[in-house]
Amino acid sequence: MPEGDVPDAPAKTQRKKKFKWRPWLRALHRDFGYLAVGLTFVYALSGLAVNHIADWDPNFTNFEREFVVEGPLPDDEQQAAAVVMSSAGIEETPLDVYSPADGELEITLETSTLFVATKTGKVYEEGQQERFALRAANWLHLNRGKKAWTYFADGYAGVLLLLAVSGMFMIPGRKGLRGRGAVLVIAGIAIPLGYLAYVGGP
Amino acid sequence: MTDSAPSLAKKIARRDFIRKAASGTVIAAMGGGLYAISDHLTGEAKAQSRADGRARVPPGQRVISALKPMGGQAGDPARSSVKIKVHGEVEHPLELDFRELLGMKAVDTRADVHCVTGWTMLDARWKGVRIKDLAEKAGLKDSARHVIFESAHGYTANVRLDEGLADNVMIVWEHDGRPLRRPHGAPVRALVPDLYFWKSSKWLTGIRFTRRDQPGYWETRGYSNHADPWKEERYA
Repeated sequence: MPEGDVPDAPAKTQRKKKFKWRPWLRALHRDFGYLAVGLTFVYALSGLAVNHIADWDPNFTNFEREFVVEGPLPDDEQQAAAVVMSSAGIEETPLDVYSPADGELEITLETSTLFVATKTGKVYEEGQQERFALRAANWLHLNRGKKAWTYFADGYAGVLLLLAVSGMFMIPGRKGLRGRGAVLVIAGIAIPLGYLAYVGGP
Repeated sequence: MTDSAPSLAKKIARRDFIRKAASGTVIAAMGGGLYAISDHLTGEAKAQSRADGRARVPPGQRVISALKPMGGQAGDPARSSVKIKVHGEVEHPLELDFRELLGMKAVDTRADVHCVTGWTMLDARWKGVRIKDLAEKAGLKDSARHVIFESAHGYTANVRLDEGLADNVMIVWEHDGRPLRRPHGAPVRALVPDLYFWKSSKWLTGIRFTRRDQPGYWETRGYSNHADPWKEERYA
């Protein structure tokens, strides 16, 4: 700038910067999306598992077996239980040993129960092994723990609503709610309504 | 080698795809075969009627050959832990351990059971005692109108008194000649064969007779209060 020149005064017509809400909405959607990943896996996987509960046990694998213990069993219940468990190759300490009737002995273990016919030595074992990850997911999904988990589950439901609403307004124009977005939103709403109409309501 | 011979890689990929597709088809066909066997059972049973004139298979049900474990929060599986309370509208409340249950008049019975999810098992064998015998032993009051089955962790199921005292309604500890298994409610469960199977509470802890109806766990979660399979009373 040559010496003595006076700079132009700022133009009065220059506008105040307009607030752009879409980038904020996208950021909000993105971050809540990340936050929802863990719980979405929990709810989706357990939803699939429990939805087909009539076809399989989503919490346990169940097993049973039969075998015969050689020789007469001791009269003492604890000793008899020890012989049976040793024959079965079980090293665990029983939770309970009980004789509900003459000639019957029941040995309760953590994951199975042995029913022993003491006169014949016949043993029937039935039990179940936990599907750890799925059972934990189902436990959370079905809110078996109640109490504090209710708040987390409510919060997650709120986050899903926020993701759904923010998702609709993230993109402007023909790929947003003014075009393809609207078609897909309507399709998503029409599916449950159409099904209700088809089956004649609840 | 396949890197240097793309046509060979393509052939191997195609062969692999065909092999996998064939395996998938065989597995799907086997599944279909099992479904067809089950459907055959359903077809045969649908032609039959019960002694009371109702169809053997309620509408919307498919016959299967073994009970399915339907989940729930298990109680203590040990028979030594059994303490069945018979209480409410009775003259002499009872608390029965497993030996005392065995000491009562045990009944062997066959009953069809129907799950609200759509499966039915025919001719399931059960051993236990009739609820009406327990009610008689406890001195049921005239004021009783409903039976509430109480189970571990606060689960309950409600049944009308006349249906709860039917001859085929029991608490059972054996199924198909074996001790009741853990997923099916060991050590003892209720059996109410003529209502959807959730009324047959697993891991039973008590039987309460009440004046007023008290909808139970599923009944307060959108399922039918009555649950008659022949009327398809699945949901409220």
